[in-house]
Amino acid sequence: MSDTSTTSTPTPGASPSGTSTDAGRTRPERTRPTSPGRLRRAPNELTSAQKLMVFVFSMTLFGLANIVTEVLPEITIGPVEISVSYLVFVPVVMVSLFHPLYAALGAPLGEIVFVDLLMGDFSGIGEIEGYVQLFLGLYVAGCLVRDPRNRRQLAVAAIVAVLIDKFLSATVDIAKVLVGIDPDSLGEADGLVQGFIALEAIDLLVALVVTGILFGALPAMWLAPRLYGKIEPLMGMEPRDPANPPTLGGRRAAPFILLAVALTLLAALFAFVEQLDEFNGREDGVSTWGAFEPEFLEEYGTGFLWVSVAAVVAVLVVAVLVTRAVVRRRGADR
Amino acid sequence: MTAPPLTPVAPAARPVTAPDPAPKGRARRRDRKDRDTISVEWVKLELMRTAYATRGGLLSKRDPRVVIWWYLLFAVVPWFTHSVTVLASLFVLAAVAVLVSRVGPLVLGLFVIGLLAEGFYLLVAAAIFGGGTESIVALAELTLKLGTISMASMAAFVSLDPEKLSDALLSLRAPALLSFAVSYGYRMLPMLMEEFHTIIDGHRLRSAPLPSKGFLGWRVVVRLGTTVVQAFYPMMLNTAKRTRTTVEALETKGFTFAAENDAGRRIRLAYLKVRLGDVVFLAVSALLVAGAFWLGTQFPVLD
Amino acid sequence: MTPVPAAPASEVPAIEVEDLWFRYPGAADDTLRGVDLRIEQGDFVAVVGGNGSGKTTLCKTFNGLVPHFWSGDLVGSVRILGEDTQDLTVAALSHRIGYVYQDFAAQLVRPTVRDEVTFAPVNFGLDDWSERADTALAALDITELADRFTWQLSGGQQHLTALASVMALRPRVIVVDEPVAELDPARATEIYERLAQLNREGTTVVVIEHHAEFVARYARSVVLMADGAPRWHLPVADALARTSDLDDAGIPAPQVVAVARALEQDGPVPLTVPDAARWLDERGHRPARARQAPTGPAPTGQAPAGQVPATTRPRGQGEAAVAARLSGVVHGYRSVSGAWNPVLDGLDLTLREGERVALVGSNGAGKSTLLRLLTGLKVPRSGDVVVGGTNTKTVSASQLSDQVCYLYQRPEQMFVKDSVRADVGYFPVDRKRSGADELVERVLDRVRLAELADRDGRLLSGGQQRRATLAIGLAMQPALLLLDEPTSSLDVRSRDDVIEMLAALAEHIRCVVVATHDMHLVAEWADRVIVLDGGRIIEDTDPATLFSRPGVLTRARLVPPQVAQLGATIGMLPPPLSVAELLARLAPNLPDAHLPDAHLPDAHRTRTDAR
Repeated sequence: MSDTSTTSTPTPGASPSGTSTDAGRTRPERTRPTSPGRLRRAPNELTSAQKLMVFVFSMTLFGLANIVTEVLPEITIGPVEISVSYLVFVPVVMVSLFHPLYAALGAPLGEIVFVDLLMGDFSGIGEIEGYVQLFLGLYVAGCLVRDPRNRRQLAVAAIVAVLIDKFLSATVDIAKVLVGIDPDSLGEADGLVQGFIALEAIDLLVALVVTGILFGALPAMWLAPRLYGKIEPLMGMEPRDPANPPTLGGRRAAPFILLAVALTLLAALFAFVEQLDEFNGREDGVSTWGAFEPEFLEEYGTGFLWVSVAAVVAVLVVAVLVTRAVVRRRGADR
Repeated sequence: MTAPPLTPVAPAARPVTAPDPAPKGRARRRDRKDRDTISVEWVKLELMRTAYATRGGLLSKRDPRVVIWWYLLFAVVPWFTHSVTVLASLFVLAAVAVLVSRVGPLVLGLFVIGLLAEGFYLLVAAAIFGGGTESIVALAELTLKLGTISMASMAAFVSLDPEKLSDALLSLRAPALLSFAVSYGYRMLPMLMEEFHTIIDGHRLRSAPLPSKGFLGWRVVVRLGTTVVQAFYPMMLNTAKRTRTTVEALETKGFTFAAENDAGRRIRLAYLKVRLGDVVFLAVSALLVAGAFWLGTQFPVLD
Repeated sequence: MTPVPAAPASEVPAIEVEDLWFRYPGAADDTLRGVDLRIEQGDFVAVVGGNGSGKTTLCKTFNGLVPHFWSGDLVGSVRILGEDTQDLTVAALSHRIGYVYQDFAAQLVRPTVRDEVTFAPVNFGLDDWSERADTALAALDITELADRFTWQLSGGQQHLTALASVMALRPRVIVVDEPVAELDPARATEIYERLAQLNREGTTVVVIEHHAEFVARYARSVVLMADGAPRWHLPVADALARTSDLDDAGIPAPQVVAVARALEQDGPVPLTVPDAARWLDERGHRPARARQAPTGPAPTGQAPAGQVPATTRPRGQGEAAVAARLSGVVHGYRSVSGAWNPVLDGLDLTLREGERVALVGSNGAGKSTLLRLLTGLKVPRSGDVVVGGTNTKTVSASQLSDQVCYLYQRPEQMFVKDSVRADVGYFPVDRKRSGADELVERVLDRVRLAELADRDGRLLSGGQQRRATLAIGLAMQPALLLLDEPTSSLDVRSRDDVIEMLAALAEHIRCVVVATHDMHLVAEWADRVIVLDGGRIIEDTDPATLFSRPGVLTRARLVPPQVAQLGATIGMLPPPLSVAELLARLAPNLPDAHLPDAHLPDAHRTRTDAR
């Protein structure tokens, strides 16, 4: 900076050659200096800006997809609602084409922000559960796709994404009923629980067919191969290399995922422990402690306190670690 | 991530993008009228409504963080008890909160219908699996619990402007990306809807009209579904380009700088102040909740 | 001799680039190839050059986006106000140099204008953030927009907002990428006036621009980029005098320069219309007396300024069949408050076969609404729209598209399939037209895209994209073709291409309607101009007559082409529509004037290079 050798720099414009000869042609033929350029990067390593880009992109599009879902017609037959829960092909295509972690982190936020917050439908803590469920589903799905042109992998990914999301949410709902009902009456209210489980099972099945296959697997199989190799350059990235696919056990991501899955399982486990507690009449058991965590529902339930705890913890951990990783990477870039 | 029944308007009532039913072969033909169909305008209106939160109401004047704490109070407390008396009192409190927050009648109506319908289906299901009268009590308990929490969230968030809400979450140490996402959503949503609508229109104009609606209109449904899916192909490519510019701009505007640096956050949140009114409001709410529990010990019902 | 008179040479240059090479990751070639450039503080520099010459990449090296943001292989150095961009972060650089994108709408990330402008100062934790925002808003004169949502703003207002948000960090250098591309001329002029103001107050301004008229009017010096390096950097007058270099780079000279060059092959050239009038006067060039316009109707006499004359169609009615008719059309929308906002207010209009209609008027005048009503995508609240004998209320838009085709302003909105061929074939193939495949191939040939037809439309250049959308329209074989701003954001050469193609359409399509801000297009292509203002037709005439009515022009915010302005200034009535026409109508005392080819639609371009 101090070595500004301004005097020696020949500025082409500073000496108009006066005649009509092209100044450009008088410019001496130049060759690129042979020294390697600075700031080279490994080709398939994303910069932090690119990660942010994938995140924002995924968030925006899934947000839009959800607004579109809002205006799609739905058919309700008694308790069973045949509707598109979400256009899962959109985030599935994202996680198949781009870095699955950042795409999966962005998409569920798009739903929360675009539909729930902006359309005045925010449901508090229930949103966090939903976020974690869908994030897990999408992340796992994205890691299953080695080659976005392979239709079989895409189909599996879409179905897996919906399965994980819906299964987790059903588990949470059922656990919520188990916790929410007085243990004294629970013994006799067996039929209620069973009925609830049956309804959840039907819901899961319908979601699998409508959301997972009709609006998941089939569109994803059509869309992803068309976008592959076309969309990545627009964002300054390399297409996914089938020989070097993302793995669930990716260096940074694996711990979060394992943690989140473990926490979710733990949450479900606690729900049953709690039940046992209460059956045993222990007032100061784990259950009362568990009741400290807030819970919320949007309709009939997307939530249950222990999963909420797990969700909050998981989200915080993921957020903190990602931020830290980004910051560290940024530092390294300089 | 289920379809919530708390939709503020009933957008499903307007199948906006449905391809025109072909009038061919129909004896009676009605002239088309200009309706405020889908969408772009609808979304813009909704956004403005949410943004300006003109309804006012009790909670909209409070500090957003206090509103969140208030919501958490009502979201947590019901899980402490199995007493129907307490739950019913809490339910009434939440219902009052909903009324003073001036939640729209449509939202409220949908909520009530949803709650009743779900309860009914559950009872039927329970009956099938041989549940007795105990089921009804259990169901009442569950319904009161979930209803209370649901109404608390309605009261808290319907009148809270999303930007304020995201600032409150930011001050409670939520990631900065969340608050960015909210304002970005505000910014982009109308543009995105407009573009999506344009693409759908393109399909409408260029594809062949349907020969007939088919049984129960299945052709219309299939056309709608495939059109929506196909529209995402150009949508994704167009958005990709735009996102690149946006992220570059964010970089130059110090967005990532702010993530490492607290000064910006402090300035942004400087306007958040808990006032006396907020404290009184929380205290009164807490007292009322305590009162509900006291009521439960005085008049135990089925407990 | 430095091009900039404003700054003393001893001062640290605003931007100093030394032997800079850059290659995008995975690219086969260098985008920047040994750039040496020095921009002094206080300069107003226009960077010009053809597509792919590296202009934008170069400007992105100034604020560090290259290479901090876009990784790649970089050699050489860039210093901003004496500091190497390698040593600073993008965030730190943004306090020194601001950047406004061509796609400025994507740069706005916050809902309201004030939010947007305070965003950067708040992020950087600057205590005077509020004052900075106020200053920036005031400097650009948009304080009254502060509480509006950015999506409520017009394009020009959005651009000013983007500029204000950049200025809030008080950079000493700003880079503006093609401010004119997305704006109508009146608004583009406004942007340039503000930039000039900032420049007078000491900010160094760099614009990427390919409209030579703006360069001529506002820049102090010009950098011509070619093949990834500056070819020269010259004071603006010298630069614009090199018409052949500019022409090679796809930057045809401004019309006044073209006029001067046609009359004199060397020497200084005028840069603005008043200069040109003086220039002509000094050399004794005057309009020929009692000379009728070679085209168009007899002069209808000058309308009194500020007063809109009663509209009369100069041509006889009823000579051709009716293509579309609007009668008593009222259309509008309800705002949040429920108030009724009319967009079209009792409009009557008849379009006839064989007409080339230009629909002009400021933003919000109702042009797009009128086109949408003609497509049947919308039906009027009251009144009737009849297209080819069919009332749009009685059929679906889908059925109506057998007769009408509407081409959107932004080409990427027309590309819904994954290849140009599929997009062109969508309509005829889906509707099972006989010979659809041959039709598609024929159309692709006509727009010269046959060899690119398997690519996605979005991946083509701007000019190719427009041709592809024209192909989509041609393949629909409509009786009535509607185009929304077919020449916006095109460089001049691609624009001439499109105009030429539009002219050639006449034989296949019975009536073409173009909504446009581009007065060159109006001048060179249209034979009927309809001026909309406030939902009503305030003028319905031919281009030459329109350009002679200052009252209408001002009211509808129209800026006639330079050559029409120049003609009007020197007293040619009706004003000429092209350089060739102006030259032809000068008094014949010119021994060696080099007349451009008068028959070409792009005749305003100089063709006088001796080569």
